[in-house]
Amino acid sequence: MAKRSIVPFGPQHPVLPEPVHLDLVLEDETVVEAVPSIGFVHRGLEKLVEIKDFKEYVYIAERVCGICSFGHGMGYCQSVEHIMGVEPPRRANYLRTIWMEMSRVHSHLLWLGLLADAMGFESLFMESWRLREKILDMFDLTTGGRVIFSVNCIGGVLKDMDSGMLKAISDTIDEMEKELRPIAEAFLRDYTVGVRLRGLGVLKPEQAILAGAVGPMLRSCGIAYDARKLGYAAYNELEFEPVTASDGDSYARCEVRIQEIYQSFALIRQAISKIPEGPIRVPVKGNPNGEYFMRIEQPRGEAIYYVKANGTKFLDRFRLRTPTTSNIPPMLELMKGCQLADVPLLILTIDPCISCTER
Amino acid sequence: MAEWRVFPFAHTALKNLFSKPATTGYPFEPAKYPERMRGHVQIKIEDCISCDLCARSCPPGALKVDRAARTWTINRFDCVQCGNCTNVCPKKCLFIVPGYTEPGAQKASETFTRPAPPEQETQQAGGKPVNDASKCVYCTLCAKKCPQDAITVDRAAKSWALDAEKCVGCGICAASCPKKCLTLK
Repeated sequence: MAKRSIVPFGPQHPVLPEPVHLDLVLEDETVVEAVPSIGFVHRGLEKLVEIKDFKEYVYIAERVCGICSFGHGMGYCQSVEHIMGVEPPRRANYLRTIWMEMSRVHSHLLWLGLLADAMGFESLFMESWRLREKILDMFDLTTGGRVIFSVNCIGGVLKDMDSGMLKAISDTIDEMEKELRPIAEAFLRDYTVGVRLRGLGVLKPEQAILAGAVGPMLRSCGIAYDARKLGYAAYNELEFEPVTASDGDSYARCEVRIQEIYQSFALIRQAISKIPEGPIRVPVKGNPNGEYFMRIEQPRGEAIYYVKANGTKFLDRFRLRTPTTSNIPPMLELMKGCQLADVPLLILTIDPCISCTER
Repeated sequence: MAEWRVFPFAHTALKNLFSKPATTGYPFEPAKYPERMRGHVQIKIEDCISCDLCARSCPPGALKVDRAARTWTINRFDCVQCGNCTNVCPKKCLFIVPGYTEPGAQKASETFTRPAPPEQETQQAGGKPVNDASKCVYCTLCAKKCPQDAITVDRAAKSWALDAEKCVGCGICAASCPKKCLTLK
């Protein structure tokens, strides 16, 4: 047996926007095992639910993460709505779906930029983020915020979109789709990118299921599982199929995310064409009593929201299982046998969000 | 399969060279904000009734309302621009407007004082509603309008009840009462 050494990786590392620490057990340059430790950015947001009014907590839930903020707000609101037996109006469901899909585009473009940056492909990184700016402008126009939207409320949404705004979104995604093509081309067909991604960190379907992978990580192994198919918000009225790839390597994960951007564009167009007129929220009276599990598909994968209420305005428990929490064990699996130099890229391919994980 | 391509970004590079930059010239050029942009909270202090609802429902606790001193204080550095105060304000005297506030070295607060009331209006806000049962028709309008759900009206049992703890004395019930049977005392 070759001599083993342990290299600490993180919590501060140029490739990591957020702190996570790994102890890498190496044999020469090959990783034998990776031991993670998290907990550097724990903020105790779940605990706050016990001292904040359940209606105010929406604003805290969406601050769990700066990228999936819309989804967290929506997941929390839908859980409470289920407990209270409140049915949000159809228009609110469509608006939520449009914003959720815009979040997915924004998250995936952010990830593509970070991936290009991790490979040292600076121009591709800037192109991706420049494109992302357009969707952020649309968020600014419709919700008033670029990353924190504050439009969800128990019983619906707070802001409506008029036809001008829907037209602006539709025009922007047409334009973005055109501009995304050369970027997607570079990610999927460029020689350098291909050499860096193909065959790296292969996750087999059975391994993915055993380790509990979710989201694009799972779909890149050929398993067509997408929580949007559960039909929450307006997804039951829209037509789409989960995007999958078969190889399970880093390239497949990149491919799934790029195809999901195109899928989100199609979903936004569908939602805009089908959006009904009507109210955007229903009044909510009283306090919730009961518990509920809600599953939604965040850009990074399936997130679970658990809410337990006791009939007062303060909830007993709010639990959020984020996609990154589930994707860390498969990430450790695929690190076994990789080279030390590939570790940063492998961490990035799961699209980690440490703030979400630690809440 | 990955393939060799010669200068795949040549077109993009040339386009970028001869087009306007993606960034703006801020701060030399003023930033353009959309109408809905949540920049900072503004108050129309003349309409404020010091009901304290905004301060009670502010998630970061950035607002302070002093009813006796007739002041409304905001700590701009604690405010997260969520807009909850503007949603709960029964008088709709709070607005969230575009544009950020100035940065600063200290967490300074900004205080607004309500103008002194004319004599006849002193009764308008501040007290709790009292129902004159002889005039009341139990229409439930007051209960529907109450921002705090403090009033319970049962039309069948002909009862009108106030939860004094929940009531903030905003006076909306009295203003909405068609029979003018509610008075703030």
